[in-house]
Amino acid sequence: MMESLFYIAALVAVVSTVAALTRSNAAHALIYLIVSLLAVAVLFFLMGAPFAAALEIVIYAGAIMVLFVFVIMMLNLGETGIAREREWMSPRHWIVPGIMAALLLFELLLAMGHAPGATSAEAVTPKEVGLALYGPYLLAVEIASMLLLAGLVGAYHLGRRFIVRKEGQQ
Amino acid sequence: MSAADFLAVAPLLVLAGAATLLMMQIAFLRNVTLTAVLAACGLGLAALSCIPAIDQGTVQVTPLLLMDALGLLFCALFALAAAVTVLLSLDYMRCHGDEPEEYFLLLVLSTLGACVLACANHLASLLLGLELMSIALYALIAYPNRSLLPLEAASKYLVLSGAASATILFGFAILYAATGSLAFPELGARLLALPANDPMLLVGAAMVFAGLAFKLSVVPFHLWTPDVYAGAPAPITGFLASVGKAAVLLVLLRLFIDADLFRYRILVELTGLMAILSMLAGNLLALLQTNIKRMLAYSSIAHIGYLLIVFMVSLDEGSRSLAIEAAAYYLVAYTATTIAAFGLLTLISARQAERENVELHHVSGLFWSSPLLAGLMLVALLSLAGIPLTAGFIGKFYIFSAAVSGQNWILLGALIIGSAIGIYYYLRVVYYMSRRPEEHHAPPGTNGGLMVGSVSCVLIAAILLLGTLPQSLMAYLRSIL
Repeated sequence: MMESLFYIAALVAVVSTVAALTRSNAAHALIYLIVSLLAVAVLFFLMGAPFAAALEIVIYAGAIMVLFVFVIMMLNLGETGIAREREWMSPRHWIVPGIMAALLLFELLLAMGHAPGATSAEAVTPKEVGLALYGPYLLAVEIASMLLLAGLVGAYHLGRRFIVRKEGQQ
Repeated sequence: MSAADFLAVAPLLVLAGAATLLMMQIAFLRNVTLTAVLAACGLGLAALSCIPAIDQGTVQVTPLLLMDALGLLFCALFALAAAVTVLLSLDYMRCHGDEPEEYFLLLVLSTLGACVLACANHLASLLLGLELMSIALYALIAYPNRSLLPLEAASKYLVLSGAASATILFGFAILYAATGSLAFPELGARLLALPANDPMLLVGAAMVFAGLAFKLSVVPFHLWTPDVYAGAPAPITGFLASVGKAAVLLVLLRLFIDADLFRYRILVELTGLMAILSMLAGNLLALLQTNIKRMLAYSSIAHIGYLLIVFMVSLDEGSRSLAIEAAAYYLVAYTATTIAAFGLLTLISARQAERENVELHHVSGLFWSSPLLAGLMLVALLSLAGIPLTAGFIGKFYIFSAAVSGQNWILLGALIIGSAIGIYYYLRVVYYMSRRPEEHHAPPGTNGGLMVGSVSCVLIAAILLLGTLPQSLMAYLRSIL
């Protein structure tokens, strides 16, 4: 029974990822991407890693959604933008991702009763994750911080030149 | 972590400290020369700190890093190569657009990634080191902001390299699912308990190998190489071609030995096949190039092909230590030679007023207009071709003798054919350089900078020294392996 929950969530993840890749409209692809991330979070939850599931939702689904909302806000200005957004609201665009998300919610509610994990005997608590990160994987955290620094500095330099060019045009 | 552990990872700590220092300096005071000097000092200090670290002996620092003499030797080599790249880039960056300071910060971070790779003993540190090195390199490739070519090169590298990293991760996931371990030795021990012909494990190991082979630009994963090499700034191309590849090859070798992937015979035979393809395709395609940077890109594919021979030789336990020794020597020689060749191209590019693409006819008559530059280029090219008295010859000879001891005759044949083709296109550059001045329009003679000239002289001296007196490095390698 619990095993089948896992396979349903995995199927949702695969289908929504394929859909996210094949949609030509960025906003629709985004919705499927979020469903895919939610499905992966449910997979983590079923396997007894509620902390990883929460992180998946907070960081990926949350951050990506906010980023995309910003981008769409910046791109769709004026009358045409409003008309396009109204068109996006029609049910044929949101009904499939909606069903998928409802399915995932249903699974989550079912799995809630089976503490700690539906398909595993024990749950990985946040404390254990923290102890692993600052115990054996301390150097990995440090290297990852350097990796983020490299990404940040690189993105700053590459993004900066477009700002400079725009100022030059004005 | 104890005091001994801190001493053992000193090179990495120094590099991380240097990166932080550079970041603070850039935040408060922008000055290219100061940044370059600080970066060079930090990298030099990191290389020096390898000496006390080696004296510590082999230390396992947390499950992630194994600080042994071989890894630390390559840490020192990478730091020195990066320091040379900094010195070669200084003039180049001065005339290349605004805010050139972050370039040096990114270079230090990329070196840190390479050093982590050299000491990685765990799949997590492998991935982190690889990504740190690559992410800094994406930005470095796209750094010059006046033309689209570097941007095109960087986006190609970014997309394809991202796909390669995803493949590697998928491979890790499969290996982890079967063994439940990420550390190389433990992974090897658990794999030993599982049947050798399990297709799932084979696929996992092959995916990891394919992803790393992409970073090494082995045929058939080589398609990005010429475009990226041609588009990137010349010093960065040198860094990418030498340090970027040496670090990945080293970690691949470690993964194969420590996790004992040699028991997957099909996988090792695949490396042999890819070695042959790389040697032949790399050399044949290099023949067709008129752009020197693209030619060197294809020749680097061929050089990695020569190095991959080591994996087939290592199948035989008896000749494994000779094979690793050969690979280490070849990597040292190849790093020195590649940095020198691209450094000299930097000088020629500076003459061409920021032109990135050095065509064959640009070097025409170089012997007559600037004999020193041409002489140095000659040594670098001869070393790449593997002519005696240069480091390249000893390296190739080492690989050759390893292949003979492993009795891999087909690989040996490909090595000989590849080298023979190689001599033609390396000497073609020499031929162009030695044409009479009447036959061409002499490029306007500008001064490439005293420092760049002296750095190139030191590099060439190192190549000749490694080629004429290789005994001390050979003996050292033998003692640590």
